Amino acid sequence: MELNWSTFLLEIFNFLVLVWILKRFLYQPVLDVISRRRAAIENQLAEAEQHHVDADALKEQYEHRLADWEQERQKAMDKLLHEIEENRLQQLENLKTELAQEEEKNRVASSRRDKQVIREIEQRALQQGAEFASRLLAEAAGPELENRLFDLLLDGLSVMSADQISVLANKWGESPERILVTSAYPLADDKRHRLEDTLSRVIGLTVPVHYEQDAELLAGLNITIGAWVLQLNVRDELQGFMECAHVEH
Amino acid sequence: MGEDSLFIRPIFELGPVQLTNTVITTWVVMAIIGCFAWLVTRRLQMRPGRLQTLVEAMVSVIEESIRDIAPQHVQQIMPFIGTLWVFIVIANLIGIIPGMHSPTRDLSATAAIAFLVFLSVHWYGIRIQGLKNYLLHYLKPSPLLLPFNLISEVTRTIALAVRLFGNMMSLEMVALLILIVAGFLVPVPILMLHIVEALVQAYIFGMLALIYVAGGLQSQQLRQQKQGENHA
Repeated sequence: MELNWSTFLLEIFNFLVLVWILKRFLYQPVLDVISRRRAAIENQLAEAEQHHVDADALKEQYEHRLADWEQERQKAMDKLLHEIEENRLQQLENLKTELAQEEEKNRVASSRRDKQVIREIEQRALQQGAEFASRLLAEAAGPELENRLFDLLLDGLSVMSADQISVLANKWGESPERILVTSAYPLADDKRHRLEDTLSRVIGLTVPVHYEQDAELLAGLNITIGAWVLQLNVRDELQGFMECAHVEH
Repeated sequence: MGEDSLFIRPIFELGPVQLTNTVITTWVVMAIIGCFAWLVTRRLQMRPGRLQTLVEAMVSVIEESIRDIAPQHVQQIMPFIGTLWVFIVIANLIGIIPGMHSPTRDLSATAAIAFLVFLSVHWYGIRIQGLKNYLLHYLKPSPLLLPFNLISEVTRTIALAVRLFGNMMSLEMVALLILIVAGFLVPVPILMLHIVEALVQAYIFGMLALIYVAGGLQSQQLRQQKQGENHA
């Protein structure tokens, strides 16, 4: 149990060497690797925290963006509804205008149809009146009426002025070949002489007069000199009456 | 294992230097620890294996234990205190191998380690606090306690050496006596007790050394705390 100084000193030296060995080959490397691992873990935690912060920021940003999108969508929806409402009102206004125009057009068309119907009715009335007058005159026509019309013709020719005769001369030309006289009934000789005398006296023509008979004239005469035709008979008067009625309407 | 094994005898002498089996066993222990440390730490990975995890856990436990006692001086005192734990554990346990003897059953070895603890207390105290401040702590709380503080420095060092030496030598002696009286394999339960005792004694020795070193640094910490309070 005695103290061996050699062992004592060698043990001190040995232990100090062992302290150096363990510090060099055990504590320092192990603490270094632990420190590096801790630093790596802290870095990873920091990165994770940073990622978490970034993710929160992105989440907030996306939420803001979603809110903005929602507002824009709402604005677009409001704008669209407003435009639809304006368009609807515009179309409604256009429709009203077109409807008014259509009504005006229908009114004008209706008025025109009414006028047309009235015109047709009036024309039909005139036609019926003319037919009635034609039938009545056809029934009433006879030699007496023709004699009366013959007298009226002679009286009319007798009172013609020089200007009227000059106008007529322009129509029948320089020298007509003949004068055609058409009557509903045969003209007696004295009437033929009176007519030829009046024509030669008033008109100044000495061309031969040719007589024909046309029962469709109903009563009266029809005198043709060149291109000029003098009509004084019931048929042509009725026809002229109907034409006058057409012209008036 | 014979009666001669209880006594420390020089194996050979080199002039005035005597090489005893304690020194030889210490070299063996140093070789084992050194080779193990080199093999384990030559390929440390960021993703540790089982052995690396075990070593890291051991180092972390040592570091945390020191940090609990002296949190501001872990880096300075960890190599010394950690080596105390590691060396004494291996040195205590190597005695259970047949034909081997624990270096710690030799008073010269335990006295050497205790003397290193004694020196380290003053070394760290002077290094960290300065010579004047360190010496002043012997006068606190009262200069009247200076003799007792000085006696305490010596007696606790002797107590460290004798406690470890007595426990380990007595275990080997008991095992030897039982072997002589009862025969082969009978001392096995005593060897189991040897394992427990080896771990406990290593822990006690290292923890006491840590407390002594930390006690030498305590006056510095108290002064820094007072300065911090005054500034606040």
